[in-house]
Amino acid sequence: MKAFKYITLTTVALLLAVVSCNKEITYTEGLFPLQPANIDANAGTWKPVAVTSYTKYSASVPTPADTSTAAYKTELATIKNLQSALTKDQQNAIAYWSDGGVLRWNQIFRELVARYNLPPAPLSNGSYIFPDVNNPFADPQFPFANPPYAARAYSYVSAAVYDALKAAWYYKYQFNRPSPYLVDKNVKSLMPKINLPSYPSEEAVMSGAAQTILQAMFPAAADEILTKAGQQRSAALLSGRASVSDISAGLALGKAVAADYIARAGSDGMGTAVGTKPQWDALADSAKLHWSKLSTPVAANDVITWLSLDAPSRPPMLPFFGTKTTTGLGVKGWMMANADFVKERPGPPPIATQDQMKQQLAEVKYYSQNLTREREAIVLKWADGAGTITPPGHWNQIAEWYIRDANFSEVRAARAFALINMALHDAAVGCWETKYYYYNPRPTQLDASIKTGTGIPNFPSYTSGHSTFSAAAATVLSYLFPAHADYFNAQAQEASLSRLYGAIHYRVDIESGFDHGQRIGGYTVNFAMTDGAN
Amino acid sequence: MMSPKNFCTGLFYGNDSWKNYWEGSLKRDNQNIGTLTTQNITWMGVYGVNSKVSVLAMLPYVWTKASGGTLHGMQGLQDLTVGAKYNFLKKDIGSDQLNFYALGLFSMPVTNYTPDFLPLSIGLGSKNLSARFTSSYRLKKVWKFSASGAYTYRSNITLDRPSYYTNGQLYFTNEVQMFNLFDYVVRAGYHKSNWHAEVFYVQQNTLGGSDIRRQDMPFASNQMNFSKAGVSLLLDVPHVKNLTARCWSSYTLAGRNVGQSFSVMAGLMYNIPFSQSQQ
Repeated sequence: MKAFKYITLTTVALLLAVVSCNKEITYTEGLFPLQPANIDANAGTWKPVAVTSYTKYSASVPTPADTSTAAYKTELATIKNLQSALTKDQQNAIAYWSDGGVLRWNQIFRELVARYNLPPAPLSNGSYIFPDVNNPFADPQFPFANPPYAARAYSYVSAAVYDALKAAWYYKYQFNRPSPYLVDKNVKSLMPKINLPSYPSEEAVMSGAAQTILQAMFPAAADEILTKAGQQRSAALLSGRASVSDISAGLALGKAVAADYIARAGSDGMGTAVGTKPQWDALADSAKLHWSKLSTPVAANDVITWLSLDAPSRPPMLPFFGTKTTTGLGVKGWMMANADFVKERPGPPPIATQDQMKQQLAEVKYYSQNLTREREAIVLKWADGAGTITPPGHWNQIAEWYIRDANFSEVRAARAFALINMALHDAAVGCWETKYYYYNPRPTQLDASIKTGTGIPNFPSYTSGHSTFSAAAATVLSYLFPAHADYFNAQAQEASLSRLYGAIHYRVDIESGFDHGQRIGGYTVNFAMTDGAN
Repeated sequence: MMSPKNFCTGLFYGNDSWKNYWEGSLKRDNQNIGTLTTQNITWMGVYGVNSKVSVLAMLPYVWTKASGGTLHGMQGLQDLTVGAKYNFLKKDIGSDQLNFYALGLFSMPVTNYTPDFLPLSIGLGSKNLSARFTSSYRLKKVWKFSASGAYTYRSNITLDRPSYYTNGQLYFTNEVQMFNLFDYVVRAGYHKSNWHAEVFYVQQNTLGGSDIRRQDMPFASNQMNFSKAGVSLLLDVPHVKNLTARCWSSYTLAGRNVGQSFSVMAGLMYNIPFSQSQQ
């Protein structure tokens, strides 16, 4: 029985050791309290993106009461009263939002994309139903936040927050009302002290803009979006940074700017981007027509058009997301007019029956059969497929670390994300336009023995979305952080090649897409060079 | 228990396949997977240290294949398992006998395979440490009933990507928390000197983790639960001294975030006596 005791004790000790091992992991990026290197006092003069002017919102931001008035003193008393009994949750919220509202909202909408980036499941008869904006909680849930959807959503929320913050800066320096903690030394300052006029509150402005856009893009998550937004406003109040009137004006301004963005979104072409079966068939036919009109024409019979490789066969992903000048369909760009998308469209790839394409196919097959562990890691790192933040989201994550480390003011951080996401949106429009213009098949469609290291996305092959997105984002990031241009470019190259290693793209898709993405990013850089922020 | 100073070693072939799986609690098929088949060839070795203690080791080579869709299969050496079994109590009750065993196992990947390509990954990539207790009762010399339970601690794993979504939230890290496991097994068997047959039932639960989301791919830290029923046979190969044939087969009765698999495993074990006193 001695042995029994021994083994029991040993086991208990072992189990205790096991149970006490903490496996909890930190799941948020390491942010830290934002103390801007420069408060960008002149941001109210920076060029608007999509609103006509900042002065048009003056009704949302009436002249505030003077800090010596009884009304304002009541506001101060409210803050002091609340600060005397802060709950743990309130303290946590203050700490969370102290790290920068723009960075936090970027994390929040990446999470929304990952949650909603799931394709509809097939019905038992092999068909699919499309997500329905009027029934977002159904199966399939709305939206299917695939890469073009995500790129557009990221760009709308980022650009709206950016315009709203510039408008806020405009009014802040018009009224120059200090933060409550500066007016009354009995009001504690629980966020980093930034010498920025507090009327209207920048936290309230971005919360109002972000909640308005995100609720429209992710209606099923409306409640939690409102909760987050409300939490940001109360953090501003409880921290002594903003008073109730700072916040109500900020919320009204943020919502007013976002309303203009919602109006744009309502007529930007997204509503017709899915199309119908006859329209998809017509697209494939018109692709053949495009080939026949090339300088070296290709007979329609020689053109092999893309087919879905999902089982059961799935309707093409957002075929009318790309601008179609012929049909009048397609989603608007931010920095590029419709004619720009046509002008920048890459020339054709070699056709499926030509020797050149056979070489391309042979190279894909080689990578399919020789997926080393090193290449597999690259494929998985950049897969960004269903259920993830998508490639545009991945580039937001990369950008986040540089924006954080630069200690940008909220408005400059918003500018950086807006520029990146507008370029990514334009990349989505341009790439989708190209994909459905040529309607080129995936390697596995031409050679079914090509097995892939990642899922084959459900849209035509030429050009690579990853390459276009990555090159566009790297171009803008290189403009914003020139010291790191080599790194961004190397990451973009790696993201692009991951699609060849995974055997889902030909090299020509990648090279043409990369070049296209750089040109698309250039449009945004041109805007940034003259927007008054330099 | 192994006879002291005997080394028993052998190779097994296993085949596990499923067409239906549980996406959370929803049972479904998926034409982009078709039938998922996982095969393995496993080396096993057991050494009897003395009459109460034996040590064991095991190493499988695993390869996977999906009959539908375009994803390629994966293959490679998977996890090395080492462990020790201790018969800490043996009590004769008339002609019956009661035994208690403790089994400790440690396993870890021996290759850098990815756990992030399910259901085609060859394993989940964690290091595991498990403690199992077994009680066994031999009735009238030939009937044997046993029950065992094990708790398995699993280490966290790392992916090749910097973010992932699970447990209802987005994680901005490549580290994934792997929840621990609990399982129990009950067996009933008929044992003769040169053969035995058993039926068994296994229930394994993951103590945490989330469901596969609608139409999502499975993820390494999903809550993978299953119950399986099966049979196991052992037979001393006639006319060949020290050679034993073994096979198992099981079927998944119910599950969560796992395939409804049918599996068989069969192989030969050869016993090498190192001590002259034992045959």
